[in-house]
Amino acid sequence: MLVRRDADDIREIRPRAALGALVVVCAMLVLIVRLYQLQIARGEEYLSQSLSNFRKSLFVPADRGLIRDRRGKTLVENRPSYDVFLTPAFCRGKEKEPVMNQLADFLKMDEDDRVRMRRDYEKAINSKDKLERFKPFLVEIDIPRDLVDLVVSHREELTCVDLIPSPHRSYRAGNALGHVLGYMSEVKPEEIEKYPDYRRGQTIGRSGVERRYEKDLRGVDGKETIAVDAQGKKLAEEINQLLIPDDERYVAATPGNNLVLSLDQRVQDLADQSFPGRAGAVVVLEAQTGFILAMVSRPSFDPNKMSMRISTAEYAALNDDTLKPLINRAMSENYHPGSTFKVVTSFAGLDHGGITTDSTIFCNGGYTVGNHRWRCDKPSGHGALAVKAAIQHSCDTFFYAVADRVGLDPIAEWAHLLGYGAPTGLDLGREIPGVIPDTESVIRVFKSYTKGHAINASIGQGEVNVTPLQTAIAYAAIGNGGTVYRPQIVKRIEAHDGKLLQEFAPEVVRKIDFKPQALAAVQAGLLAVVNEPGGTAYTSRLQGIRFAGKTGTAQVVTLGSKQKLNVEAQQYLSRDHAWFAAYAPGVNPEIAVVVLNEHGGWGATASAPAASKIIAGYFALKAQDAAEAAAAQALAAGLRAEGQAPVAPPRTNPLPQQPSPRQAIPQGTLQQQLQPAPPRGN
Amino acid sequence: MPVPRLTNNEKKLDNLHWPLVLSTALVCGLGLWNLASATRGAVSPLSLQQGRAMVIGAVAIAAFLFVDYRWLQALAWPGYFAALGLLVAVATVGKKVLGARRWLQLGPVQLQPSEFLKVAVIVLLARWFTQDEVGVQKGHYSLRDLFWPFLLVLLPVALVMKQPDLGTALVTLFVAMTMILFAKVRLRDLFMLAVVVTGASIFAWFKLLKPYQKDRIFTFINPQAYAKTQGYHAIQSVIAVGSGKLTGKGWGEGTQNQLRFLPEQHTDFIFSVWAEEHGFLLSALLVALYAFIVLVALDIAANARDKFGSFLCIGVAGLFFWHTFINIGMVTGVLPVVGVPLPLFSYGGSSVIVDLLGIGVLLNVSLRRFMF
Repeated sequence: MLVRRDADDIREIRPRAALGALVVVCAMLVLIVRLYQLQIARGEEYLSQSLSNFRKSLFVPADRGLIRDRRGKTLVENRPSYDVFLTPAFCRGKEKEPVMNQLADFLKMDEDDRVRMRRDYEKAINSKDKLERFKPFLVEIDIPRDLVDLVVSHREELTCVDLIPSPHRSYRAGNALGHVLGYMSEVKPEEIEKYPDYRRGQTIGRSGVERRYEKDLRGVDGKETIAVDAQGKKLAEEINQLLIPDDERYVAATPGNNLVLSLDQRVQDLADQSFPGRAGAVVVLEAQTGFILAMVSRPSFDPNKMSMRISTAEYAALNDDTLKPLINRAMSENYHPGSTFKVVTSFAGLDHGGITTDSTIFCNGGYTVGNHRWRCDKPSGHGALAVKAAIQHSCDTFFYAVADRVGLDPIAEWAHLLGYGAPTGLDLGREIPGVIPDTESVIRVFKSYTKGHAINASIGQGEVNVTPLQTAIAYAAIGNGGTVYRPQIVKRIEAHDGKLLQEFAPEVVRKIDFKPQALAAVQAGLLAVVNEPGGTAYTSRLQGIRFAGKTGTAQVVTLGSKQKLNVEAQQYLSRDHAWFAAYAPGVNPEIAVVVLNEHGGWGATASAPAASKIIAGYFALKAQDAAEAAAAQALAAGLRAEGQAPVAPPRTNPLPQQPSPRQAIPQGTLQQQLQPAPPRGN
Repeated sequence: MPVPRLTNNEKKLDNLHWPLVLSTALVCGLGLWNLASATRGAVSPLSLQQGRAMVIGAVAIAAFLFVDYRWLQALAWPGYFAALGLLVAVATVGKKVLGARRWLQLGPVQLQPSEFLKVAVIVLLARWFTQDEVGVQKGHYSLRDLFWPFLLVLLPVALVMKQPDLGTALVTLFVAMTMILFAKVRLRDLFMLAVVVTGASIFAWFKLLKPYQKDRIFTFINPQAYAKTQGYHAIQSVIAVGSGKLTGKGWGEGTQNQLRFLPEQHTDFIFSVWAEEHGFLLSALLVALYAFIVLVALDIAANARDKFGSFLCIGVAGLFFWHTFINIGMVTGVLPVVGVPLPLFSYGGSSVIVDLLGIGVLLNVSLRRFMF
């Protein structure tokens, strides 16, 4: 009975069991469909997600190219800087506080830095972009050796801290080349957007050569891919090799290219040491090529510090300094040229019929037009002068008269011909054009044009503003017979292994078609300035080297009495700018030298001696080079005689031996070029 | 009730449900193999322990086959109270691991009483539906008639919830519900029940669920929002499963598993290891094997000699089905993350023994299906 009833019940269970089986089959099919969806339909996507789970890419920073001077002396190199990074994602919850506190204690961070670290951390953690927290952020740059050891020895506790050695720039010359070489700083987020091959924490050249040649210097970063476990810990090497394909494991960085500058460190030092003032600039360049040998701007800054090692206070001090140390005065600031501009007025007068080389003008201590009198430097007057003597004595009256005769536009025309009034095109960038007024611009600014504008301009005052670099190019052009060069500072680009990639040739901007007598008269005047008694720079003449030059004393704008300045500052700021522009030797010159001593006073006493010193030093160095080369040659000859291989001379550019326009710009027939060089007779 | 004894051993072996034996053995073997990969080493201590549990389970099955399953009726109440007692013991002197009190340390052996509770509940409900006359007389069960069975199930389930172990509590409840569904319950009553369950859920949400359990449900609804916290498990598991593609990465080669991106890879997320390393084909095969075991259980239930055996088998079918479905649904991201082991695959001695006991019940019922 019981059994029978059981049997009935079981029969009733059967349809339910069948239904249950159907449910089971359906449910299991759902799972299989889901598996199909994940593993087949989207398998590729999940596979790549699983790969990126354990792959961690580390950048292998490329060594930035070195910068050398023309003789191969290293000016900028790389040294390791140990930078501390923190990855927020690996430092969360309980770990966070002790790790950050310990790190801050180790690095002796002050309160500001601690706050900054926490802020960076929170920013990354709270970012909408979930990947942000996996990006290491910079905590401290360039920690000293003993702290490196301390942090390394606590690796186990500081799990999320990375100590990344990165090559950092070392500017050996310090302040002396701050403006020329520039400095490095971290790329900004907007720059990364523009140049995607930069990544956060990397540096980029900020001014000077570093900025202008960023592309060449930078190189290409490499990449190392490692396998990590879920905790972000690197796996053993054999697992690493198993998981990461060979060609992805390590992609070496390509170092940046090296630059060889036309600069000569010794001439640079010479110019730097010879500069007498507080502020100003010195430019030394090859008169026959336009290559720069030295460029000084005072006051300067230390690029080592500016490259992210400057405190906020120090930076503020640099920015607030009234002398503006960050400006390169050789090319990014302009000044009244004063009497150095008289050469321009001379050419304008000689070319436009105002004067001939022989015509004289009588100086009675000034020049009167209408009811206004312009005074000459010498109140008692120079008497009757021709153009050569006018330059020699720097007689203002003579040039007032010339300007009165020809007007402003010929002066402007000649200024432009000599390279004033426009950027010279030096490969450092950020150059300013200066101001060369003509009647049109005067009318535009002052509503009307009067002779007074021309008369002011004739002695480099009024609206005329030039840069020291422009002055150097103009004087080089006068010295070399009329070739205006584009100044250049980089001579060669070489690959990191020394292979020559690019060699820069001199670039001619224009050739001025001087009247021979006019050029000769001005050149004679410039020689007389230095070498004849009564010349304004006669006291700066040199034994054995006859160089030509022109002094300049540029009046500055009178200070308003409202400005609250101490007496000393007031005296300083009211002194004139002292100029001296020269080329040497006086015939067939090799170099042009310009010294601008801001508020230095008289050009003759505050700038000419420095220029003279630089010229003397330059020729001494040249003689020294020649002697060394001769000795090396003798040694090589001796070795050859003994049957030994001669030592290859180092690839350097000594100071030019036989500079001539022909050498710089090959021209004429082959035969002409093969002619022995004419003996130097000057 | 007379209990006939078998006299012919050969006949007994003939009647053994060999497809079930073989598929169970296959699942056990694959489970051990997979566990070795998940615990990183062919002879890791954990896989050895798992193997030991399987041997114990197999021996228990063999011994159990000599006894008629109907003896279990006598053990229903004692077994139930024993399980209840163990649960109370866990609540008071249990071992706390990761904030949950689930284990009982008995000398060298660790027990998870909530696993044994599942068996106790199955046996008790089978007995209850077999002996209760109400349903038979009325032809169906009303909700009022089901008061006692509900109470008997909910009492220990509440204790499991307290541990807290939401997964086991849910599975136990689902197994009980499955058995009740196979008894005669009217559709109208089922609807009423649904209302009651919804009410209970709402009550549980506000009064019983721990914050982390609520988080799991939130996480399930939107795992990406919790990508680095609770959702991490679900996302990494789905990545592991998906990255296996058609044929998998190979045994021991699953990076999600080996590099510890997969959490709980040897217990709750063991299927992800299998799916990552062996791909879609073998994953589908494994699902099919589990489906086969459940279908065999239903078949045995439908052909059992008596109502008690039939309900036992339905309970075991429910046990395997719910574990499998919830676990695989969870690791593939179709169900929220609740800690439910995959039968015979997840590491855990108590659960392996209970699963094998379930298989033993099936074999026993099937063996004696022709005996009257």
